[in-house]
Amino acid sequence: MNVSTRFLINRLGKQCAFNRIVTYSTKSTEHAAANAVETEKEPKIKETTASTASEASIPIRKPVIPANYRFIYPEFLPDPKIEWRNPIREKLERMDMLDRRRQIDLPEFYVGSIMAVTSSDPHAEGKVSRFVGICIHRDRCGLRARFILRNVIDHQGIEVIYELYDPTIQKVEVLRLEKRLDDSLFYLRDALPEYSTFDENMEAEQLEEGAPVPVNDIKVVLRPRPWLERWERQNLRGVANIDQYLKDKHRQSARRVQKPWEKYDLMKQYRATIPEEEQNEIFAEVYAELHAQELQRKRNKRKRTFVKPKQLA
Amino acid sequence: MALRNLKSLGQLLLKQQIPQQQQQLIHTTPACCEIRKLARLRVVDNSDLGKRAMAEGRPPRCIHVYNKRGVGFIGDKVLVAIKGQMKKGILVGLKQKQKPKQPKFDSNNLVLIDDNGSPLGTRIHVPIPTILRTILKEKTQAKGADYTKVLAIASRYV
Amino acid sequence: MNQADVSKLMSQLRIAIRPRHRNLKNKDGPEGRLLKLRKTVTALVKHERIELFYNRADEARGYAELLISNAIRHGDTHNATMEMADYWLLEKQLVHKLFKVLVPRYENYTVSYTRMFNAPRTYPGIYYKNSVLELRGNPYPSLIVDQSQNKNLLHNVLLDEARKEYRRKKLAELAQ
Repeated sequence: MNVSTRFLINRLGKQCAFNRIVTYSTKSTEHAAANAVETEKEPKIKETTASTASEASIPIRKPVIPANYRFIYPEFLPDPKIEWRNPIREKLERMDMLDRRRQIDLPEFYVGSIMAVTSSDPHAEGKVSRFVGICIHRDRCGLRARFILRNVIDHQGIEVIYELYDPTIQKVEVLRLEKRLDDSLFYLRDALPEYSTFDENMEAEQLEEGAPVPVNDIKVVLRPRPWLERWERQNLRGVANIDQYLKDKHRQSARRVQKPWEKYDLMKQYRATIPEEEQNEIFAEVYAELHAQELQRKRNKRKRTFVKPKQLA
Repeated sequence: MALRNLKSLGQLLLKQQIPQQQQQLIHTTPACCEIRKLARLRVVDNSDLGKRAMAEGRPPRCIHVYNKRGVGFIGDKVLVAIKGQMKKGILVGLKQKQKPKQPKFDSNNLVLIDDNGSPLGTRIHVPIPTILRTILKEKTQAKGADYTKVLAIASRYV
Repeated sequence: MNQADVSKLMSQLRIAIRPRHRNLKNKDGPEGRLLKLRKTVTALVKHERIELFYNRADEARGYAELLISNAIRHGDTHNATMEMADYWLLEKQLVHKLFKVLVPRYENYTVSYTRMFNAPRTYPGIYYKNSVLELRGNPYPSLIVDQSQNKNLLHNVLLDEARKEYRRKKLAELAQ
């Protein structure tokens, strides 16, 4: 008896929790949308009609969220640090992010992709500057999400940090969509310059529709020491000749700082991730919008590929 | 004293054995990403003095930063010791962390100028950040040195 | 603000977790901490109910929960989960228990797999708080005393009174 009451209480508690965090196409969505912002009237009406329609035909219709959304849109997931969590702020940020995405096409990209960013620059000649480079790092979440581009221009290595939702960015192009073997490519700073040299007038390379994102397994060649970081300690997979520059003392110290037990530390991993249920809730909230944008992008792409032969002729 | 002797001896030996390119990499002090006093810089214009200093592998050292912080930022004027002379220069690219949209360079770049603000070289062979236009214009006073001449010899902006 | 790690996907825990881990003071550092927790988790899976200091129990609880939830999620054919179970359960026969006994037991649970109680502290003794950590659905008698039949509790007194009054009314109706 006791156990069953506890079950009930827990279930009730869960329902309350779900009500608080707004989900897609349930009744609570309407309330939230009604409460949230009055300026957004059109989407609200759309949502309500959609929900009523779905209620009429099927009782609960949940969108099927692709499993790769967490890789494509990692900035929609909040910082997992518990002290910094704030569901209301996170939701507002997501709404702002979608607002920005309605204005500008922010395509899918990964660390290792080659990108071109056009941003308005009051100091530049035409008030516009364009930078082409390889994305070497991607960090922060929400509206603060940013990435670093690197290129070598006139034998001079240059890196620029861009904020993804910066309103001064006019255009983000992905010239070559691919991944690399590592999560961040800071070692390109210590690699030979040809590994981070990319042509500025590069044409965008089209991937086949539905094809998986290719992983470029190129191994870069580092230049001799001194390096900016101790790469031998970071277990890099995309570096070819690191062993050549190591002495025994480096290997020993690298071995000393390794933490082989960390991959078994389940709670550490849990505290660094957003659990699956929560991810589903977050992506259910933004799925419709993002999916529509993806379809639009595909349509545009097809149009572009269709126009091309005309120009040649 | 003994250390300095050893250092110069080492450099002498290196000069004989190692080609010019590698010689630049050997230093006895750790790399400092900020421009402070005694920071090594890289001359990026084609002035004769700068070219010779860089080719010899004895890059100029900052001996004074003309601002109130003592740390040089982009567009700041610095006094450098180059080949036994004191010259002024302008920082046109920094290695330290930059704000979003400001380029961060792989080396600390310097353009040599004289007291009037006119550059010693005739061309800068690396890109320079666009924000320099605004900064240098602001720094140029009506009666003082005209730093905007540095912008005129730039080959490219990022 | 950093991005969440997306390379791993985990189920949500049904217990409240602390924002930071406890160091569990020991001379071997973080590795020693994990060894301590491994011993506790192994004992928990083996005996299903253990009594220990509160801090260590609370710390080990999350690991036990995650171990079980990962086992339910991936099953015994998933190499990474198997490796994890092999690391966390020091006695290897318990790996079989995890996948063949605990996974079927907890498959349809909507609540946490473990339960924690405060236990009395010995006096005079060590100052640390004591606690009991147990797996749900264990074969031992329940630790919570069933109070529903206690005559002296206020709600039972009130219920009794109500019952009496109802009966009195019924009798009065019958009498008429």
